[in-house]
Amino acid sequence: MDRRKFLGLGLATLALTPMAATALDFRKEKPDAWKAEKPADAIKALYGDIKPEEKGVTIKAPELAENGGKIPVFVKSDIEAKSVALFQDANPRAAVAAWTVPEGGIVDYGITMKMKGSGSITAIVEGKDGKFYSKVLKIEVSKGGCGG
Amino acid sequence: MKVKAKEKDGIVKVKVLAKHQNIGPEEGEKKKKEANFITSVVAKVGDAIVFDMNGSGFMSKDPLYKFKFKGKKGDKIEVTWIDLKGETKSKEAKIK
Repeated sequence: MDRRKFLGLGLATLALTPMAATALDFRKEKPDAWKAEKPADAIKALYGDIKPEEKGVTIKAPELAENGGKIPVFVKSDIEAKSVALFQDANPRAAVAAWTVPEGGIVDYGITMKMKGSGSITAIVEGKDGKFYSKVLKIEVSKGGCGG
Repeated sequence: MKVKAKEKDGIVKVKVLAKHQNIGPEEGEKKKKEANFITSVVAKVGDAIVFDMNGSGFMSKDPLYKFKFKGKKGDKIEVTWIDLKGETKSKEAKIK
């Protein structure tokens, strides 16, 4: 490839990069949030020192999960959100998942997660209004799912 | 990977079933397997991102992801995941 073409390609890639980076990659940009052991520390690492209001967010999960290896968990909210994050306090580290909500996106996310034992699930919704909203749900797990 | 997308009243419901061991570091030590899990899942319709998630080793084995977005029938949705080792898989599905 001749040098001029090669340089041109480089420039084109540079021009495209900001487009691809519109979504926040939590794993790359907030690595500490994924290492924290307690939900409070993980939330601090991800969002800073926030005081979320306990409203506007719903978590749907079984009250008694028979198999901790596959617990269906839903996070729902009508708040216009920028991002959503999910934590729990039964596993070695707190963070489970984080979503970047696309423009006009609907906050209604479902995942299947693992929990070592009974504990609390915490969901944080970062609103477009700059406020934070949360919900905590306690669930019982009869058989742990973290390599048990 | 299986992707199902169904539209009703302008809202598309999507179910993604990924085939992955999803082994966290502690679990890997116990099972004597290398830790590896899906770190990112992105869904697009055309160039627009409709779903963007970062995951951890605490997702279940063969995880199921569900989400909703505003869309229409006939469009194609493309779901891509990347794991810790950098392996990536994509699947396209038509919105029904």
